[in-house]
Amino acid sequence: MKVIKAIYQFLVGDLVILVGVIIEVITLAILKTVPALAALKMVSRVILVLAVLFILLATLKRETGQ
Amino acid sequence: MEALTIALVVDVTLNWRSSLTGALGAVATLAVIVATFGVALVQFVPLDVLRLVVGILLILFGLKWLKKALLRASDFKALHDEEAIFEERMAEIRARGAQPEARFLPFGVALSYKAVLLEGLEVAFIVITFGSSAATTLAQKSSGIASAALGAACAGLLVILAGALMLNTFGTFWAGEGLGVDWPAADLFLLVLGALYLLASALLVLWLKQVKQRQQKQESFAPVTGNAEIKEAQR
Repeated sequence: MKVIKAIYQFLVGDLVILVGVIIEVITLAILKTVPALAALKMVSRVILVLAVLFILLATLKRETGQ
Repeated sequence: MEALTIALVVDVTLNWRSSLTGALGAVATLAVIVATFGVALVQFVPLDVLRLVVGILLILFGLKWLKKALLRASDFKALHDEEAIFEERMAEIRARGAQPEARFLPFGVALSYKAVLLEGLEVAFIVITFGSSAATTLAQKSSGIASAALGAACAGLLVILAGALMLNTFGTFWAGEGLGVDWPAADLFLLVLGALYLLASALLVLWLKQVKQRQQKQESFAPVTGNAEIKEAQR
């Protein structure tokens, strides 16, 4: 447990960022692999950039207590 | 910077030998890690997987750094908190009852080693990931490594901000490529991504400053309101 915590602290240290990035990657991986969602593949770059900005906004909101 | 502060605390509180030995040991370990992993990654990991993993790691590091830089730029966080770290570590060492001695102190060596290794590892990680992305052009590599090294070497806010923006830009680009995203204009889209993150950061700093001002106003009004309520109650 201590080791996992140390790795988490070293890599991110922020749960909002970690969870946000995991959700983002899973979403994009689904878009890439599921043929039925091939039409949405065009917007995957927009989703990627917006998700990064949204994660940043969410973590800043939490830090400032907004 | 934090590593230097902790090494300095060990130097002042215990002795310079332990501090220097720990720091040099950590630097040697980092050199071995960079030399070994830098080569191994390129040779044994498939390019798409490497891009994806490198991209995700850079986004994680980039967001962490960017958050810190934006909070500092908007006065939510102190620009330099080394003094607090110094005091905190010194109190920690004194609480253990450690006294200044001329001989090597394993505790001092370990403390200095751990501090330098942990902070250096973050930088080494970034340098390895930038260096190992075999599909990148020389310009991308050099600018990426330069920004990472600059961000690591200097504690200046602008430099940290620039480094964080670079990490996010390259991280998004590579993670996107790993996930099958086709970027328009190929590598040139890095400039668009960089500009986009820069603009977003500027807007976020403005928003954070407004939030800070609002919070300060509320804090300054709070005691006055409290007094008025007390006076009202006394009447």
